[in-house]
Amino acid sequence: MRTSRMLALGALLLALLGACSTGGGSKPTIKIGSDDFYEAKIVGEIYAQALEASGYGVDRAGFGLGGRDVSAPALESGQIDLKPEYIGSGVAHYDPSKQSGDPAAEKAALQAILAGKGGGITVLDYASAADQNGFVVRAETASQFNLTKLSDLTQVQDQIKFGLALQCPTNPVCGPALMSAYGFTQQTIDNATLLAACSQPMVDALAAKTIDLGELCTTQPDIAKNGWVLLTDDKSTQPADNLVPLVRNDYLAKVDRAAFSKILNDVSAKLTTPGLLDLNRQFVFDKKEIADIAKGWLTQNGFLH
Amino acid sequence: MDLISETAAYLANPAHWQGANGIPARLLEHVELSAASLLIAIGLALPIGLWIGHTGRYTGVAVNVANLGRALPSFAVITIVLPVTAALDPIAGFYVYPTLVAMVILAVPPILVNAYAGIAAVDRDLVEVARGMGMRDRQILFGVEIPSAIGFIVTGMRSAAVQIIATATLGAIVGFGGLGRFLVDGIAQRDTGKIWTGVLMVALLAVTAELLFAGARRAITGSHVRHP
Repeated sequence: MRTSRMLALGALLLALLGACSTGGGSKPTIKIGSDDFYEAKIVGEIYAQALEASGYGVDRAGFGLGGRDVSAPALESGQIDLKPEYIGSGVAHYDPSKQSGDPAAEKAALQAILAGKGGGITVLDYASAADQNGFVVRAETASQFNLTKLSDLTQVQDQIKFGLALQCPTNPVCGPALMSAYGFTQQTIDNATLLAACSQPMVDALAAKTIDLGELCTTQPDIAKNGWVLLTDDKSTQPADNLVPLVRNDYLAKVDRAAFSKILNDVSAKLTTPGLLDLNRQFVFDKKEIADIAKGWLTQNGFLH
Repeated sequence: MDLISETAAYLANPAHWQGANGIPARLLEHVELSAASLLIAIGLALPIGLWIGHTGRYTGVAVNVANLGRALPSFAVITIVLPVTAALDPIAGFYVYPTLVAMVILAVPPILVNAYAGIAAVDRDLVEVARGMGMRDRQILFGVEIPSAIGFIVTGMRSAAVQIIATATLGAIVGFGGLGRFLVDGIAQRDTGKIWTGVLMVALLAVTAELLFAGARRAITGSHVRHP
């Protein structure tokens, strides 16, 4: 009896030792978080299910945390290990001068900043899927004033009722950028109706003709559903907001870094802007559950069987 | 302290006191909407409350309906009403009516319940004496019951007014102006001075309303009810 107990203890110690020494091979539970809107939650859920399919445990307590003001410190402090980020807005959170229309440059800038945050955070590959701030008009407004791009607005800005984001007047890529790139006047910005960007009230206001132009998200399904026109940002004022996973280095040190990164990089490689639009449409119009939407996408793209 | 200095700096900037986005304009919008919704709520709730209190009929229904009004979150009312009224009138139906409707619904319960409870609490002997003297229902209501219950009735209006002033800030989320703009825009723009300017103005307005109604109550009860 005694020997077998000793043997069992020895085996247990060996097993523990083995787990420690191989380190990279283990698959500890990862705490995934996201911002508090459906698109971020869907993408976070896709990351979660892809990792679960490879045997990682996932803690979803950090889903829908809040805006970047909340989710960025949560990642830095280790309350979460992973979150989907929008690369341009993510870099603007730390240094607005570093956002540009070029996702590769933004990734390099974001990685340089995050290397020194919270013991180090890694920026994995970004997806081609991007969700930018978009300026949208109704079809009849577009035809009445011949609008296809933002610079078409310059001459007719005083005849159009603007609906802009709450932070637009002070956000460098919104009010100030629109004024310097497209010649919008301070009065145009001051007279705008301020509503949360991409929100239901913004959609309602545009639909009801309370406003003629609304600031929505380019992947927002309401645009296509209502036959609205997304004006081209022809002076490239809006940052490239490609989706990218951010992971804490202390978590990566506990796993096989290459294998872990490959899972999320493979997901990013398949995530496109039309794909993102379709995911959002399933949530907004088909009223599907986020877990089912993510599962469907992963199955369709060969990650789940 | 940051908070105080930033708020003081915001208040000291003359640009913040001018134009449609300035403090006076926003304050006026807030007062207008609050007064309008209070008056509409009084018009709706007071006659019903008085009638129920006087007759003692439908008290259960009235109290339950009023409590239902209390249980409805104002923001839910705003978002439900918005698409409907905005479709009818793209300007007022978007900017004003949703908040107005939500504030009326918020204000009806305290006014109705206080009017009913105030009248119901009037000493029945007093009412019987009035009846014995040959007073008609209308005379009893206006000559005996309302003067006795006026303190209750005005208190209902007072609490409704304070609730409206505080809650009308929600309207800024759906494009209404008013003092809520400083809160909603200030939070989005991470402008502490702007947020606390809004907080300060709402608090000042609420206290002013309290004092006005307390004064009104004292003036009215002083002239009608003679205490020994």
